[in-house]
Amino acid sequence: MRRHGVLEARTDRNTAVWMRLMLVAFVANGVGPFGLKVLTMQGLGAYQSQYLMYWYLGGLIFALAALRLNKTGVNGREILLGAAMGGCSLAGQSFTAMALAKGLPGHIAFPLTTGGSLFLVALAGIALFKERIGPFGLCGVILGVASLVMLSIS
Amino acid sequence: MTEGYFYTILALLGFSALGVFHKLADTLKCRPAPVNALLYGWSLVFVMLTLYFKADTWSAPGIVPGLAIPFGISASIAILAFQAGIRHGDIATSWLAINLSSGIPTIASILVYHEPVGMKRAIALCLIPISMALLWKDKRDAEARRA
Repeated sequence: MRRHGVLEARTDRNTAVWMRLMLVAFVANGVGPFGLKVLTMQGLGAYQSQYLMYWYLGGLIFALAALRLNKTGVNGREILLGAAMGGCSLAGQSFTAMALAKGLPGHIAFPLTTGGSLFLVALAGIALFKERIGPFGLCGVILGVASLVMLSIS
Repeated sequence: MTEGYFYTILALLGFSALGVFHKLADTLKCRPAPVNALLYGWSLVFVMLTLYFKADTWSAPGIVPGLAIPFGISASIAILAFQAGIRHGDIATSWLAINLSSGIPTIASILVYHEPVGMKRAIALCLIPISMALLWKDKRDAEARRA
């Protein structure tokens, strides 16, 4: 009998769909931050806050178009979770910037935030949502964290 | 420096909570499109408030929105796909899959700006597809066990 988590996990799972959507997320999420690099290389690094504002605006324009296509409204739970997620996203980025501004080197700050968040989220998945990771998945997680830490310090 | 570590821990908690909220949204049956729209809507409000309280200017050269908006759209596509994908997978492995995309701006910097590759970067970039393949294999095995 499947053991349910503290928060019950959904069972309508399809690996092929998961892989396709994760590949889209992987590529699109990877392209997203490259604009900041282009901005810096154009000598416009002083406009990072304004860039972030327009970056979120672009994201919102697409999200509203998707929402309209889906013909769905929003409910109270989605409003609260959206606010929490938006706050967490901005807090993560702002606190990283503040840590760097206080003189903490990037080769310490980035591996700690990236590797650490991967570890904590995996831990939450196992402890809170009762997810199971097999031996291949565990090796994948270890190699992935190693890769991200190496990218952060290279 | 100690203050720097303190802010790093807060950043770590912020990013980790974001991952957990993504899974929580799915568990509580929130739909991907509204979650994505509200995530970006609220983030925009928070950034505008930050700019207002920092008394920073909102205006920027035309190239700034010209660059930011398409890259923001790309990131929004990523969050929508990620939120829809979580329904079919675990947060532990999905969060890693989306975070591994850090390799893409690195490859783009190497190709576009001819940044040096270096041994560490080369190994790290090689590990990304291996890690993704292992995650896919793990998911396929788990699906076979459930069938």
